Amino acid sequence: MAEIVAGGVRFHVQRLTPRHTPRQPAHPVVFIHGLGMDNLSSFYYTLANPVADAGAEVILYDLRGHGLSERPRTGYQVQDAVADLTALLDALAIDGPVHVVGNSYGGIVALGFAVTHPHRVASMVLIEAHFSVAGWAEQIAAEQATIDAALTGDALRGWLAQLGRKVTRLMEMADDLLNHTTFLADLTAVQPIPMSRLRTLTCPVRAIYGEHSDVVDYARELDRYLPHCVLTVLGGCGHSVLMDATPALREIVLDWFATQIPSGVR
Amino acid sequence: MTVEQILADVRAMLTEIIGAEYALSVDIGMETSFDADLELESIEFVKLSAMLTERYGDRVNFVAFLATKELDEIIEMTVGEVVTYIANCSAYADAIDG
Repeated sequence: MAEIVAGGVRFHVQRLTPRHTPRQPAHPVVFIHGLGMDNLSSFYYTLANPVADAGAEVILYDLRGHGLSERPRTGYQVQDAVADLTALLDALAIDGPVHVVGNSYGGIVALGFAVTHPHRVASMVLIEAHFSVAGWAEQIAAEQATIDAALTGDALRGWLAQLGRKVTRLMEMADDLLNHTTFLADLTAVQPIPMSRLRTLTCPVRAIYGEHSDVVDYARELDRYLPHCVLTVLGGCGHSVLMDATPALREIVLDWFATQIPSGVR
Repeated sequence: MTVEQILADVRAMLTEIIGAEYALSVDIGMETSFDADLELESIEFVKLSAMLTERYGDRVNFVAFLATKELDEIIEMTVGEVVTYIANCSAYADAIDG
């Protein structure tokens, strides 16, 4: 397991290296997972290995407080996540452009990174991305608070504990993150990325949403946020596009990177 | 490398990941499921893959191995499937070297 200290925080990082040499010089592909119970394994199990097998160098990391990364008591605003990603790439000596793939909250981090460092982003893939617009912070904080309320119910805790080691460990992690760090307060305090800044983004953007997602409204407004974005709405699935529609999503993502030559992955 | 040697390696790594106390409560063999039997968290399976890649280096290609599998196939995988894959890769590498 690779542990990299960046910006004073210890991050769990996995690098997947293609076995064969790509035909074209390729930019690394960085995957950014979602919030709360999520970690880099959701991409590892679905898209990361196929993208690496297609010829890209892949970088996966657990956000602070998530997975096997350190769980500091503070620092859970989007700008902290953007600073973490920046520090991590610096620590990996990657100063050229990267492709970023963000799922859900990871999409906000990708967007934040792109508006902060536009020269460091070759392209973006946004899967069920929340947008840091007015009302977003309240929505996502409410979702996380719902999880918190469930975790703090004694009856539910007792029931979950009987489900065994895996559930107990996930519950303990989430409990610590939600109740013993500034995670929820930081989410509520997130300031929207101004529309004027989003509209300055010139890198290619591929967006994928689920037809029944609770955030699909963002997709409908993509023309306002990112006029050059290519959008697909996948029928029959909700917010969990990554898990529920993996084969279709994998095809879209592999096709996307194939079109990014010479900066692409194959 | 023999299947028995590889299984011993995988067993040692799993013990390190999930802790000796829990690992000792499960008789880890070829039929043992990472999810149903060991209750391995998905992030712990990632850790195991990284340890195996570090241990066996260029002789195995876990990227290609996992790239062909669907999500449910990875979740339902047994220790034996991983051990067999490594054994086959190892035999192939020996044949090339040999």
